[in-house]
Amino acid sequence: MKTLSQDGLAGRLCSLYERSGYRRYKMSKFEEYDLYARNKDFLVSENVLTFTDLDGRLMALKPDVTLSIVKNTRGEQGLEKVYYHENVYRASGGAPGFREIAQAGLECIGDVDEYCVCEVLSLAAKSLTEISPDCELDISHLGILCELLDSAKLSGGARALAIELMGDKNFGELEELLKTENIPEDIAERLILASRLNCEAKEASKKLKELLGGIVADESLKLFCDTCDFMHEEFPNTVKVDFSAVGDLNYYSGIFFKGYINGVASGVLSGGQYNGLMRKLKKTSRAIGFAIYLDLLEPLFEAEYGFDADVLLVYGEGTPAAKIYGVAKELSQGDKSVCVMKEYPQNMKFREVYRISAGGETVREK
Amino acid sequence: MKNDIINVALPKGRLGDNVYEMFSKAGYRCPELENPGRKLVFENSEAGIRYFWVKPSDVAIYVEKGAADIGVAGKDILLEYRPDVYELLDVGLGKCRMAVAAPKNFRDDPRKTLRVATKFPNVAKKHYSSFGRDIEIIKLNGSIELAPILGLSDVIVDIVETGATLRQNNLEVYETLFGISARLIANKPSYRFKDEKIKRIQDGLAAVKGAEND
Repeated sequence: MKTLSQDGLAGRLCSLYERSGYRRYKMSKFEEYDLYARNKDFLVSENVLTFTDLDGRLMALKPDVTLSIVKNTRGEQGLEKVYYHENVYRASGGAPGFREIAQAGLECIGDVDEYCVCEVLSLAAKSLTEISPDCELDISHLGILCELLDSAKLSGGARALAIELMGDKNFGELEELLKTENIPEDIAERLILASRLNCEAKEASKKLKELLGGIVADESLKLFCDTCDFMHEEFPNTVKVDFSAVGDLNYYSGIFFKGYINGVASGVLSGGQYNGLMRKLKKTSRAIGFAIYLDLLEPLFEAEYGFDADVLLVYGEGTPAAKIYGVAKELSQGDKSVCVMKEYPQNMKFREVYRISAGGETVREK
Repeated sequence: MKNDIINVALPKGRLGDNVYEMFSKAGYRCPELENPGRKLVFENSEAGIRYFWVKPSDVAIYVEKGAADIGVAGKDILLEYRPDVYELLDVGLGKCRMAVAAPKNFRDDPRKTLRVATKFPNVAKKHYSSFGRDIEIIKLNGSIELAPILGLSDVIVDIVETGATLRQNNLEVYETLFGISARLIANKPSYRFKDEKIKRIQDGLAAVKGAEND
């Protein structure tokens, strides 16, 4: 398994996206607050760090990258494929206060077609396997979900609650809700079975066609099934179809996906087609993208953090500097990290410890 | 996170005892836990399960953060803290309701800001904002019933089981918000990487619940 450090991982992800023709999108840390105020629901947390700029404009430290990219990209004709590795600023994980969070991801904006969807999904799956082979990418389709909810004539609060319950896999309360709303038994049953769907991509096509045929438009069902088949061919052990992967329907439509890594306590990747957001920002083009929350991967970096350096070299009073330098250089061969100190430092751990005397004699300590 | 064992956060107290009994009946007995001594973590490696007792309001945090793969938490806690977890099963225990309670003959005067004492500020805010009522939340951590008696608040939003405590303090239920019961919850990644084991436990508990309801 590759050694995992945040910087190393970010570098490998950037290289992965560049090899697929995505250009790095470098951005300012600030954006006008108004952009976030108008799209609060799109943000992970609605708390935004603001300040007044010298010209009186209310500015924000970026809590999100996608909104800025969409705002600043043209993408009305052709395609714009960009990736980013940026820090964002927001409250995180229920902790009081703001945090600086490293995030990587990509956006494909413009004339997005089925190939683009497959390409972005593939890059999401490859990103996860780059982090760890023990991963899972769950895909769902919010357009199909909406058609299903339309067929059940669920609207307003009941519709929002149904989506929330599907996201929680709370099928007991979903059943109760459908009964309370007097949804016809046949439709209710299909809705529950669809929301329970959690299967490998290869089984999804058959199951979805059986379940949703006649309710959902044939074309959208076929396109989604084709995507599932493609993802199964390319990533047979990574991709599952799970309709509990849901996002805000005001922003997302079409494919929606979430990525998980074994050993990390929450989802590390989230993405989808956000044509709703494009419309809200008065853009006529379509878009798909995803973000990876690098801060959540810290538990995986622990092995690397077990030692502060490979080697500690402790020197005594009167040891010539040139001698110390020479020994340190010798110890660093084979790409080892060497920390040179006068005394054994507190709260630090090393794989090996060497001591060099005033006379230049070097001894490895047990 | 080891994949060979399921970590279960149980709520301390009577509810937790009843929940453990359900697990036990479902085939996940842990003799160590029945004679606890001073231990905090109890394991039955044969059954592939490890239990630990935590404060009921902390169960959802242990599960959300992945320290526990599954746990049993009250619906009140889930609605108040909105943890990012799956809610797999209503285990049918700890049944009660969330209610607005007030002194007998209380009349809500819409010209005044309503003072609401509660342990559940998010639940209270959501309820009153749904019809635009202006309120002041007074967050308390216990003895909520005392607040309207001493004039600290006009009403309380709290869990009501039998209503006996309310009656003893000359309070009554003014409005029921929703029913509460204990729920089996799961950490989202655990549900993926330990899916078979978690689904087996879920089915086992559902079967025990079904048998008890028959």
